[in-house]
Amino acid sequence: MSIRAGYEIVSIDDLDRYPSENGTQVLLPVRRRLGFEPFGVNAWLGREAGDHVIERHREPQGPEELYVVLRGEARFTLDDETFEAPIGTLVHAPPGTLREAIAVEPGTVVLAMGAKPGEAFTPSPWEDFAVAFGRLRAGDEAGGREAMNEALARDPDAWQGAYNAACFEAQAGNDDAALDQLRRAVAAGGDDVRAYAESDTDFDALRSDPLFREALS
Amino acid sequence: MTWTTVDELDAVTLPDGFVWRPIRRRFGIKAFGVNAYTAKEAGGRIIEEHTEQALGHQEIYLVLRGRARFTIDGTEHELGPGQMVFLRDPGLRRGAVALDDYTVVIALGGKPGSPHVVSPWEAMFAAAPAVERGDWDEAVKIHQEALAEFPKNAALLYNLACIESLAGRSLDSLLHLERAVELDPKLARRAQADPDFDALRSEPAFPA
Repeated sequence: MSIRAGYEIVSIDDLDRYPSENGTQVLLPVRRRLGFEPFGVNAWLGREAGDHVIERHREPQGPEELYVVLRGEARFTLDDETFEAPIGTLVHAPPGTLREAIAVEPGTVVLAMGAKPGEAFTPSPWEDFAVAFGRLRAGDEAGGREAMNEALARDPDAWQGAYNAACFEAQAGNDDAALDQLRRAVAAGGDDVRAYAESDTDFDALRSDPLFREALS
Repeated sequence: MTWTTVDELDAVTLPDGFVWRPIRRRFGIKAFGVNAYTAKEAGGRIIEEHTEQALGHQEIYLVLRGRARFTIDGTEHELGPGQMVFLRDPGLRRGAVALDDYTVVIALGGKPGSPHVVSPWEAMFAAAPAVERGDWDEAVKIHQEALAEFPKNAALLYNLACIESLAGRSLDSLLHLERAVELDPKLARRAQADPDFDALRSEPAFPA
């Protein structure tokens, strides 16, 4: 790593690694690490052959995205089309495209960039959430809370921030803090939050607590 | 088609010797700027020496394959596959030379806080092969397409006027040059010294 005034050099290997909760893909935050502002950029790693590199998802109102295979080889699916993508493959996913990439080789890395056409880019809070939960899973509760607080500070009125903070505290075993955040989320998001919380396994340990019912009321 | 490989992208050799591999243009991406660059051979230029002062862009250059020697603000850095340089300051002078025949650099760029606007240099780069072979119709067409989207872009109008002057289309050239100078008066002085306008400089309508 090299930091000089006005520029910085990093390697993919220097980036933090945050395994996702549900899939097998690992987030390597690029934009967040560098402070790059014009649009979203991240790298994703599939550690073993068969692991997800890009989870199966669709972004209906979301960004236009481009994926570049940097290491290994991935099997991409775009809507109905599936193809092998070795190093140097460029994959364009317009909003609404169903997309997925699975590692064919161990250590496959894909660079993903995206933004919404015609809009100035603002960082999406999911990056902070992914980092927060990733750190928590790695045993770094304080570091995770720091990332969560960054997201809360950026958009304090959005229910998604408080809701994710509630999940974070529930996973960390801090029941009182989880219920506090859940009350804030309900105040900001109402029925959407109640519906998510009813079926969210993060709250399984709290569900029988009368205070949980009270928080959702 | 929604996917390709860097080796299948168009290869546009620019006068400075580096090879532009348009990615954004290939897919019609509107939300961000992204291109690849290669060199004609090891030791050849792969990223032209420039600053981003005019556009105010932040940039990331990522080495996809092979090695490249970057010069950033006068300091040399050799970068290999998976390494990237992030230039936060648009005013820093940057450029790179390929150290392998097969080096590929991916360039990402945009202006913080603004919706992405396609850089006018993309049309100028895209028209370079047509200009080189004297295919004026094609070079003019590429510029007109870009101007349909950005009618008030002085650099595009100026470049179009250069091409029309070289093509002997004096009236078109003077019209577009006049419009370019209206939008950016500094271009009058540049036109005075630009050999592309040698055939037109004595015309009464040529901007003083």
